[in-house]
Amino acid sequence: MENNPLQLSVSEFVELTNQTLEYAYPTVSVVGEVTEFRISQGKWVSFKLKDAGAVVGCFLTTYQLRMPVEDGMKLLVVANPRLNNKGFFSLNVRSMKPVGEGSIKKGFELLKAKLEAEGLFAPERKRRLPRVPQRVAVISSTESAGYADFCKIINERWGGMVVEVAHTQVQGVPAPDQMIRAIRYFNSLEVLPEVLVIVRGGGSAEDLMAFNDEPLARAIAASRIPTLVGVGHEIDTSLADMVADVRAATPTNAAEILVPDRNEIIRAAHQQASSLGNQLTQAIDEYSARTREQLSAAFRRIQEKLNEHFERLAALRLATAQLNPENVLKRGYALLRGDIKPGATVEIETLYEIAEAEVKNVRSK
Amino acid sequence: MSDLNKEVKGKTVQDKLSELSELVAWFQSPAFKLEDAFDKFKQSEALAEEIEKDLTKLKNDIQVVKKKFDTED
Repeated sequence: MENNPLQLSVSEFVELTNQTLEYAYPTVSVVGEVTEFRISQGKWVSFKLKDAGAVVGCFLTTYQLRMPVEDGMKLLVVANPRLNNKGFFSLNVRSMKPVGEGSIKKGFELLKAKLEAEGLFAPERKRRLPRVPQRVAVISSTESAGYADFCKIINERWGGMVVEVAHTQVQGVPAPDQMIRAIRYFNSLEVLPEVLVIVRGGGSAEDLMAFNDEPLARAIAASRIPTLVGVGHEIDTSLADMVADVRAATPTNAAEILVPDRNEIIRAAHQQASSLGNQLTQAIDEYSARTREQLSAAFRRIQEKLNEHFERLAALRLATAQLNPENVLKRGYALLRGDIKPGATVEIETLYEIAEAEVKNVRSK
Repeated sequence: MSDLNKEVKGKTVQDKLSELSELVAWFQSPAFKLEDAFDKFKQSEALAEEIEKDLTKLKNDIQVVKKKFDTED
């Protein structure tokens, strides 16, 4: 071979190298620390990945950039290795994600600050969910435990809803784009669902990274349908949660927020009816008391009137008694009957006796 | 239309909940009359029973949409 080396033009060499790379390593995953991160003309992104022993250039478009990146972050890039016509070897990045707690946190904080500055978390943007929705859209993996928990709780708590479910991946590189497509699908329906719910159970920080994807966060924020997001456990906070109209701590909590508990409503309905019974009893008691009071007042009034009449009667009795002629006789007076003229006979009545007498003389007083 | 708004004996669950609230409000209002209160109370008890029955039998209709989301259309 050395005696008869392959003779190629530069273009042929580049092409052959790329064919060989494409055959041997069509896609590689490379982990390294970002350096010389740049965005040119708002379209092209370039940076270098380095470790202690080597550096390799990386290239992608801003469209593929799903999170803010800065120098020093540790990334895993999935890329196609290429040698370009200018002789520079680079990795054409297809996807990338931060690795290691520090970089994941850094990426999250950078994107959070960016979205917050745009007002995507502002409380005034938050819409209220209907109290009892009748048509609900759900985005989740129908195979996940979180989705099963969500369905179990909504079925226990409430009924009568039409729930349309878009089955998507909820972790891994394809997950954000699938969820974005599902959000667009529901938002394009002629009759919009009343609530759009996105749920996923707990997982590691890396599992939940799909929910810290910038395009996904923007799609949730732009949804015409009010959103309810319940991802991970109570302690997990994702950017998807933060841009949602309502954040639930878990899928179970999302179900609890979404619908009222029918048992509570039934209990409340019976309590209301029973409270009316109490009010009725109270009203009857009050009515009886009022009637008793009115009767008692009427009786008092009659009594007063009777007393007045009795007093008046007693006074009349006294006056009548004083006019009785017998009482005058008792005081020593006498009653005289007959004509008072000389020679006439008159009758004189005292208390105990009646005498007849002749009038001898009459003179004027 | 969901089951919640389907007519059960001519009224939806929502109607019945509203009617019960109206009865509660009537008991607190100046329109309250002892002569009518017993009938209204019996009406509220019947409504609570019906609400329980209606809510207990309501089921959700969960449908997985056929569309696939793993690729762009």
